[in-house]
Amino acid sequence: MRKRHVWMTAGMLLAALSSHTLAAEWNMPIGVTDVSREIYSLHMTIFWICVVIGVVVFGAMFYSLFRYRRSKGAEAAHFHEHTMVEVIWTAVPLLILVGMAIPATATLKKMYDASEADLDVMITGQQWRWHYSYLGEDVEFTSNLGTPREQITGDGERSEHYLLEVDEPLVLPVGKKVRLLLTSDDVIHSWWVPDLAVKQDAVPSFVNENWVRINEPGIYRGQCAELCGKDHAFMPVVVEAVEPEAFEAWLAERKAAAEAEASGVDREWALDELMERGEQVYGSICASCHQPDGSGLPPSFPALAGNQALMDDSALHIDTVVNGVAGTAMPAFSTTLNPVELAAVITYERNAWGNDTGEAIQPADIAEMMAE
Amino acid sequence: MWKTVKSVLAAFFGVQREAQRREDFTSGKPISFILVGILMGIILVLILIVVAMTAAG
Repeated sequence: MRKRHVWMTAGMLLAALSSHTLAAEWNMPIGVTDVSREIYSLHMTIFWICVVIGVVVFGAMFYSLFRYRRSKGAEAAHFHEHTMVEVIWTAVPLLILVGMAIPATATLKKMYDASEADLDVMITGQQWRWHYSYLGEDVEFTSNLGTPREQITGDGERSEHYLLEVDEPLVLPVGKKVRLLLTSDDVIHSWWVPDLAVKQDAVPSFVNENWVRINEPGIYRGQCAELCGKDHAFMPVVVEAVEPEAFEAWLAERKAAAEAEASGVDREWALDELMERGEQVYGSICASCHQPDGSGLPPSFPALAGNQALMDDSALHIDTVVNGVAGTAMPAFSTTLNPVELAAVITYERNAWGNDTGEAIQPADIAEMMAE
Repeated sequence: MWKTVKSVLAAFFGVQREAQRREDFTSGKPISFILVGILMGIILVLILIVVAMTAAG
């Protein structure tokens, strides 16, 4: 009775292991590109080779242990070296390894061939967000964590894609070869999207290449895969793959929005307008270090609320935000934010949390300063 | 000379007969093994480069 119970449990376990849902949950994803499918099939081939080796080696070992046990009068053979056996156990693994290396190399060759791309996207890692630039299209934006802070601090219910959601995803066309050029503004990051089979380091002052040709429209999520500091867990990657027509429409819309933003630089902004925009920018960019209430996390991240040195000197404040402070954790935001966003966030910092300077920093002044 | 090459090949592979090992250590000179070893190491690297270049097409 007990024996039957054991067999039934084992049978159920096997059935569960072979079921597709469990495999999908524990195994690597098959993905949505030709390369990702090839990697998956390589992974499975090598997995089964390992299973066979494991069964043969451990099977022979356990069989020998049992069959030739001492209680049955087995005697150990005494011999030293056996050239033929040694040759076999050296040659067989060699052949297995070469047999695995040949298909793996063929796939690697495809992965490294980033030539003849239809679209180039520059991906820049920044502490702690990704910046995307569609080369030759004049479209660029920053992709920030989309999960609200209260979910992270435990004050709100976690959403379905907790820490795997962004404010603006990277939009790519399906069926087109997209070359990804990766670099970083500060430390080493790694752009990783399992479904696209891309995990590529973004290294400061280097440009790494990779490419994708996505087969199916959809939303694919990933994370930074290289420990890059305090908010490493808070810079996810979201790729939205759409049909080429939808992509063209999206691109046109982004270009129009960029032009509207550019024209906003020249006009005079009211304090309220800047405050509203600045609060948004502060929330997605600055609050993770300097805190939503401006209290900072001294000594690494100074308080902004009641920061007399900054409030007395608007030029110093602007310079700090635009150019960063060398040797500290404060990065230059001139590449992350445009003049409108910079002016808005500086204005916000100069008027929020009791910093009532009443000053409105104009985008035009920031643009002029950055042009110099 | 041919014996030395064979012994170096056996060392590359990692398996050598005990009798041959004894003979190498009694009759062979270290310098000849070192020189043949370096030369064959270079040849191995060249073969690998050619294989890689053929594979890369």
